[in-house]
Amino acid sequence: MGHNLTFGWSGKIGRITLGATRAEGGTRKKSYSIGGGTTLPFLESDPSSAAPLVALEICDDPEYWSPIVKNYCGNLVENTASWAQTAEKIYGADLIRLYLTSTRQRNFSDIASLGKTIESVLRSTELPLIIEGSNEPRIDSEVFQMCGETAQGERILLGTAEADRYRSIAAAALAYNHSVIAQSPIDVNLAKQLNILLREIGLPRDHIVIDPYTGALGYGFEYSFSAMERIRFSALKGDADLSMPMISSAIDSLAIKEVREAEPSLQDSMAVQWEFYTGMAAAVAGAEIICVRHPKTVIMLKNAFESIRNGAGFQEVKQDGTQGA
Amino acid sequence: MTDVETAIKNGEAHLKKMITTIKHSVSYDETAYHLPISFALTGIAVHDQKTAGAVFEKTGSNPLVAMECILAEKTAAEGRLPAPFTGFIDDTVIRKLGYSLVDSSILGLALVVGKPPGPDSASAICRELQEKYMLTFLAGDVVTSLSGAGVKLGLEYRLIPLGPTPSYGIHFVDIIARVAMMFGGVTPGDIQRLLTYAKERAKAIVIVYPGLSDEEIAFVDGMRVLGFPILSLGDYQGSTWISTTPDTVVRRGMDEKGIRVHVTAIPIPMGCSPAFEGKSIRKEEMYVEFGGGRSPAFELLQMGSADEVQDGQVTVIGPEIDAMEEGRAYPLAIMVKVAGKMMKKDYEPVLERRIHNFVNYGEGSWHVAQRDIIWVRISKEVVAKGVKIEHLGKLLAGKFRMDFPQLLDAVSVTLITDEAKVREAKKDAEKVYEERDARIKGMRDTEVSTYYSCTLCQTFAPNHVCIITPERPALCGAISWLDGKIAYEISPSGANQPVERGAVINTLNGEFDGVNKFVKKASHGEVDRCSLYSVMEYPMTCCGCFECIALMLPEVNGIMVVNREFKGITPSGMTFSTLAGTIGGGAQTPGFAGISKNYILSDRFLQGEGGIERLVWMPSQLKEELKMRLTEKLTARNKPDFFAKIADETQAATIEELIDYLDRVKHPALTMKPLV
Repeated sequence: MGHNLTFGWSGKIGRITLGATRAEGGTRKKSYSIGGGTTLPFLESDPSSAAPLVALEICDDPEYWSPIVKNYCGNLVENTASWAQTAEKIYGADLIRLYLTSTRQRNFSDIASLGKTIESVLRSTELPLIIEGSNEPRIDSEVFQMCGETAQGERILLGTAEADRYRSIAAAALAYNHSVIAQSPIDVNLAKQLNILLREIGLPRDHIVIDPYTGALGYGFEYSFSAMERIRFSALKGDADLSMPMISSAIDSLAIKEVREAEPSLQDSMAVQWEFYTGMAAAVAGAEIICVRHPKTVIMLKNAFESIRNGAGFQEVKQDGTQGA
Repeated sequence: MTDVETAIKNGEAHLKKMITTIKHSVSYDETAYHLPISFALTGIAVHDQKTAGAVFEKTGSNPLVAMECILAEKTAAEGRLPAPFTGFIDDTVIRKLGYSLVDSSILGLALVVGKPPGPDSASAICRELQEKYMLTFLAGDVVTSLSGAGVKLGLEYRLIPLGPTPSYGIHFVDIIARVAMMFGGVTPGDIQRLLTYAKERAKAIVIVYPGLSDEEIAFVDGMRVLGFPILSLGDYQGSTWISTTPDTVVRRGMDEKGIRVHVTAIPIPMGCSPAFEGKSIRKEEMYVEFGGGRSPAFELLQMGSADEVQDGQVTVIGPEIDAMEEGRAYPLAIMVKVAGKMMKKDYEPVLERRIHNFVNYGEGSWHVAQRDIIWVRISKEVVAKGVKIEHLGKLLAGKFRMDFPQLLDAVSVTLITDEAKVREAKKDAEKVYEERDARIKGMRDTEVSTYYSCTLCQTFAPNHVCIITPERPALCGAISWLDGKIAYEISPSGANQPVERGAVINTLNGEFDGVNKFVKKASHGEVDRCSLYSVMEYPMTCCGCFECIALMLPEVNGIMVVNREFKGITPSGMTFSTLAGTIGGGAQTPGFAGISKNYILSDRFLQGEGGIERLVWMPSQLKEELKMRLTEKLTARNKPDFFAKIADETQAATIEELIDYLDRVKHPALTMKPLV
């Protein structure tokens, strides 16, 4: 027999639901229930939680987007709705994470345009959505109100709440029944504190996904890995304030030196490799949602998760190095 | 003058009669909550006289219920009110409104009813409410009075005219009932939850002008059970309504409900976030530094009265940063004054300790230690961006208000860089520190069963847990047991948590079952056992903030203590900073412990190793600092000559010299039970 894979842990990761089908009051073709794990990922032959989901990140103003993705996708990035549709039909993403980068324009004030963008994305894809609101406290209130209201009924995941900036996002989640990404700067205690703040404002635990902040591989990822591990250990040991699913997005992966300075012919594959290995490591640390920007990384990650879960990953390695049944 | 009690009696009787006369069906469109007050209170959906009567009876003839039903029938019969009146407001708008309340773009709700004496009175009050981010609802003659004065009304102006008579003020209550059901998790019929929500979370006040009918007075008074202060502007007597004046009514109401205007941004030319807390500023990166043994520096936070503390005021006394030479050390006093209705003197040291975190939140400011041994650096990078001494003050004033919105109403900061003035002010600060230390003196660990934890330093020492007892302050010296208790009161989910001592495992070492359990959990499973009074067996973990290090010297069977200020090499062959590097970071290192200066004076000091007789060496400066208090303690314990047996660097700089010295003075440690 194998090891006791729960190592005496008694806790369980809480489940949260993303997306809503027509029967559930939304318009998505499926909804996901993430979380539910009772041990670390990829250990069990009959896993207590689903394989990590892969989200493709897109945006509504490509000026603020990686040139590598723009090169690969071409004109597609000019049309947010088509981009979302391609992410579902061609790139094979499980989720779409829409960044409203247009809000980063100086003195942005066209809140109504965001509603139109969200509507068009909701129409062009049937995948559940993650929506990233503004980066600017001045317009947070209006932006998140718009996101929440436009996507009412769809159970989207809204980002990103931080310790000094979580009220508008929490309010939108409460008012329109969405969930929230709670981000803390690579620190288990701050992650917990933010979850408590969100609870105090009235947001239930099953509406929170933890983002411990992910640095790119070789650029601080080890700190993120350690923070994720510790969050997960605490949860499995029974800390209810940390027992939410985690999301990881190593957004710096496409901008690091190795990718920037790669030979032009190799740049694209270098970017994909970097995203892939960072995403893979984050999944091993316990993240339930892995976000990437390069379309090619999506399928690589999905194949990798599949092969670990169906392959030799959960088989015990015997003392002599051979694999047991 | 209207006698409120009589009016209520008459009004309630009249309402009781009126509710039986409801004939038509009563309902509102565009809501899923039926008649929201009735629905929230009882879970019953009112739509006719029968159901209205049932709810009225079930709620003990509640005047709010009566008014809601009567007005609903009237609305059903007469149709929508003409502009500008809104009448009943539909759910979609309430959802948006609730959103603004949760995200704090609206701080609270106000209802203004009745007939103002002239147009200026109401417009001044409404302007003040607008400025304070309150959403104001109006009912009765106040509406015509305002439009007569040219005041713009509507949701976008945060002034909402509900209806032409004060009765329409009932919609104010149905809005709050719906917000409670939509956002507060209140299930219809759960009256207790609803009342708790209304009292504790709904930030609502009611302002009453004269001219209300008896029924209207009864309904307004009915809002008192929801915990809304009823503020009257004349003409009402004989009640628990708060009598006030137009000039003070808004402030009084907001005070009563604890509604405060929040600080949301700090206007300084550098980033300010916990994300920067872990970074340090190395010598090459620093523009100037303060304290750290290089120049006199201290920090002090004290409370003042509301008139004394002007919120946001920052004063710099002495040269600003542009008059300072790069790479040098300058004197600095950080003096914070705070005021607040709930502020207590006991909270001062706890808040003072937050200066450490807040300064470190600055992108280019760095802070270690506390009280009069602080060490602060400002980086070249941010000085180039325009950061000045003044901005440290702005950062502190802003962060204190942001992080303690319930506790503090006003924060001002004085920063002194003039050497003579710093030294002068430092004398007063030292008196304050002494008074604070005296407050906890004499309390025993055995007298309480609850200790407090501190995990403030886990940002950089992830598994470190301080256990603070009356006789053993936190190793940084800045948080006593009392401070821990208060910090927990102020912020129940913060870094100081109560620790039940539990069963005794080892009396001498101070090892307790409850403490072990807590430490195991708080150290994320890394540390299983923790003795409070031992350096040798399962000592407490260390972060990096300890005032002193106690370490075992096997050659002399004793323990030495070195403080942060001592720059020389100790008999262990290492300096303080080398030692600090060896033991910090949250590790448990038998033979070493991080301690506060005051702990040396405690009866529990080194209890596990046989008590203070184990103490063989301290720097002369520390000896001098503790001399008076320590000799007093020793005399009380009948060991008056022991103090002279403790060596310092002038008598013994090396371990060989220490062995000689201890032999010469016949130090008791030499003949005590072997430590190893």
